Amino acid sequence: MIKELIYGCVTGILFGFLLQKSRVIRYDRQLGALRLIDMTIVKYMFSTILVAMVGVYLLKDLGIVKLSIKSTVLGGNIIGGLIFGFGWGFLGYCPATSLGALGEGRWDAVWGILGMLTGAAIFAEKFPLLKTSVLKWGVYGKITIPEVLGVNHWIIIVLFVIGGLFLFRWFEKKGL
Amino acid sequence: MENKQESKGWSPYLAGALTGLLLVFSVWFTGKYVGASTTFVRTAGLVERLFDQERVAKMEYFMKELPKIDWQWMFVVGIFFGSLIASTTSKTFRLQGVPAMWESRFGPHKAKRAVVAFLGGIVAMFGARLADG
Repeated sequence: MIKELIYGCVTGILFGFLLQKSRVIRYDRQLGALRLIDMTIVKYMFSTILVAMVGVYLLKDLGIVKLSIKSTVLGGNIIGGLIFGFGWGFLGYCPATSLGALGEGRWDAVWGILGMLTGAAIFAEKFPLLKTSVLKWGVYGKITIPEVLGVNHWIIIVLFVIGGLFLFRWFEKKGL
Repeated sequence: MENKQESKGWSPYLAGALTGLLLVFSVWFTGKYVGASTTFVRTAGLVERLFDQERVAKMEYFMKELPKIDWQWMFVVGIFFGSLIASTTSKTFRLQGVPAMWESRFGPHKAKRAVVAFLGGIVAMFGARLADG
């Protein structure tokens, strides 16, 4: 149990270190992405996703790890995503980066963190109501793209990697 | 204002790829997939419990996401320290209550930024929890 907590802390420290080094936790960078004038955080996130996708599926095929798939609930995913984006535009930090921003001295993140704790408390209050409404719309369970399309997952992974590389090339060409 | 001479930092592709490896190793060694927003729920529960323990114990969402300190909680706290270490060792740590882009558009008022950041935080977290992300 203690070991697990230490692993969590070390993983977080390394993550926070990398976030700060690549300058992606700043308000200006996050808003830059939302305003489509600076794609730094998209480059960072997509690079992370591509590497992690290949690595995790490789380990899964070797029988070393298990996937952790979240349930698809269209009502919650779509409406929640839209609400999140709206709030993100005002705050300029997301849940994980708010702590990183605070770590490099951008203390306006404190207001965001307090707001997010309040938002979490409000959600907990409203959960019984949401559970019987929005969270019942479009429930598909733990599905993945390759399963739905009925193809081998490596086909999808290769397509994502190729798509990602083209996206990166386009960003660099446009100087984003 | 942000120092224009400040270094651009590491390539986002390199840092992103290294983060990807970090996630792979995390899953490999501990079976843990990263996240952050559940930690805000657990912390909200921990704070509410200081005021009314019985009420929190009966709330369905806090039964699902127990108010406790777990792997992800430590991960989120670690992000703060990782960023603190990286910024203070590279002289990029800067106490700033109003971001540069915000200031150039809305002015230097700290209270205005505080109110918008707080309200934005409420909305963002409500949405994130609804989407289960």
